[in-house]
Amino acid sequence: MSEAPGIVWLASFPKSGNTWFRIFLANLAAGRDKPADINDLDERGGIASSRHEFEAATLLDSGLLPHSDIDRLRPRIYERIAADTKAQRWIKVHDAYTLTDGGEPMLGLGAARAAIYVVRDPRDVAVSLAHHNTTTIDEAIELMNQPDSALCRGRRGQPPQLRQKLLGWSGHAASWLEQTDVRVHLMRYEDMRADPHRAFGAALAFADRAASDEDIARAIRHADFAELQRQERERGFTERLSRSSPFFRAGEVGGWRGELTRDQVATLERAHMPMMGRLGYDLSETTAEAAVEGAYGGGIVALS
Amino acid sequence: MGEGTSKPPVHSYRISGLAVASQLELLGAIDAPANDDGPDITVRLQTAPETLEGGVAGGPNWEIAGERVLLRVPRVARFLIEGGRHIGVELEPGATARDASIFVLGVSFGILLHQRGAMVLHGAAVARDGRALAICGASGDGKSTLATALCREGFEFVADDICAVSLDEARRPVVWPDGRQLKLWREAIERLDVAARQGAAVREGIEKYFIGAPASVLAAPRLTAVYVLGEARPPEPEAILPLNLPDAMRALDLQAYRPAIRARIGSKPHNLAQSAAVLSHAPAFRFVRPRGFEHMDRLVATLAAHWEALRR
Repeated sequence: MSEAPGIVWLASFPKSGNTWFRIFLANLAAGRDKPADINDLDERGGIASSRHEFEAATLLDSGLLPHSDIDRLRPRIYERIAADTKAQRWIKVHDAYTLTDGGEPMLGLGAARAAIYVVRDPRDVAVSLAHHNTTTIDEAIELMNQPDSALCRGRRGQPPQLRQKLLGWSGHAASWLEQTDVRVHLMRYEDMRADPHRAFGAALAFADRAASDEDIARAIRHADFAELQRQERERGFTERLSRSSPFFRAGEVGGWRGELTRDQVATLERAHMPMMGRLGYDLSETTAEAAVEGAYGGGIVALS
Repeated sequence: MGEGTSKPPVHSYRISGLAVASQLELLGAIDAPANDDGPDITVRLQTAPETLEGGVAGGPNWEIAGERVLLRVPRVARFLIEGGRHIGVELEPGATARDASIFVLGVSFGILLHQRGAMVLHGAAVARDGRALAICGASGDGKSTLATALCREGFEFVADDICAVSLDEARRPVVWPDGRQLKLWREAIERLDVAARQGAAVREGIEKYFIGAPASVLAAPRLTAVYVLGEARPPEPEAILPLNLPDAMRALDLQAYRPAIRARIGSKPHNLAQSAAVLSHAPAFRFVRPRGFEHMDRLVATLAAHWEALRR
């Protein structure tokens, strides 16, 4: 396999297209003439916040440790993976890029050779997140707007994964794009949908993962939404949380227009105006007009 | 405590069939009379090295050198587990014996049982009429919850979390009562309505608590089935599926308590022979079911009926 060894973080806020890209990678690695099983993707990657991996490596029951002590052990886990791996390991990560209370990067220093940061229009994320978590859209927006938001924080029961700090949608993007420990490539979900070959090809090239155009094209075909939906309908999907809503829904770009109220759009845009501008997401007309009128305290400045 | 006693008090327990004498009070372990012939296992507060001479790192916080394992738990203690007979504990500054207790009772004992060559399953076990079934699965899969629910339906409690299996004279598998209380998260305590039996928190600041079982076995019951929990994801239906021998052998490997330790301590031929002997009397099944407390009553009835039918 022509690839430079080491960890490649596949980082994103939840529901941003991370899993789609991971399925593409699994198909690329499999190199077969039929699509890979969506329920058997973890051979080489997995998710950085896996409780199972943490417990297998440390021998400790994560439920007996405060979140901060778990975070202190996590850098050692990724450093060991990096030292042991002779191939590339693309690992999905929803954690924001943060430091432990010991002051070191929680994902380890020098453990990864690159990071691909996948970002999606926050208005589409809100709709998808509500379906995935079986919450209201307002609750999803709160998770995106709270600067100290986190996944799996509750300790009344055993959460499915380790606690993951999200820092809100803007904070998440800023944490990854502004850190200087790991070189990072930005990949927009909208660009992945518009021209997957070009977007995925650029990400692979950034991570020094060689692949022919033919292989990329085949892997994209095998990771087509219709195929993913077919597999989920027939055999389910392990990463699905909701009992009522399938994991692979529409994957639409701009689907929020029919789903969010004006207030919800405004709440999101007010909270994330600077980062949306930086990532090329246009504000809806009402917010843009209000911003011009100065209603949002000069937030428009960040757009220029 | 008599005056002039210079030695710290010795607590006496029987854990997984072994007589334990401990300087630390092990919260959640059930007091037992001391063994006349002396303890099988000692637990002491002592100094433990920062690193093991000749040790090989097995994970980010533990290393192994022959019959010794050194385990570090951040901001709690270093645990030195030696030869299947001794657990030494050096507390980190600011930590108390109370903080360390659950790590002695849990992970340190799990390692020690591996050192003694026992088969240690990551699971719970319950029994009826001298026969036991084990429920295995990853942490968070609901093993303790299901065991608690089975105990409400008249099963006796045998073990939780660490399930030590050995072979009797006839090479039939038996499960050792772990001499501990069950541990449940706050959420499960509320949903199973067992708050009246709630004891101390397993660790201060953690919402997981010891729960006294209504009835526990004293002798080691025969193990007659192993159920590995899995989640039925839609559209997959709820089912109890028999595992063929290769899959069952693999399942026992994967369901070992901390497989990384078993792989480093046990010899492969020993592990294989042990698994084969267990499975010849206790077939393994995959129990795929939906998650959620609302299914519990039905799942308990399904499991109990399936297990009873094996006897016939």
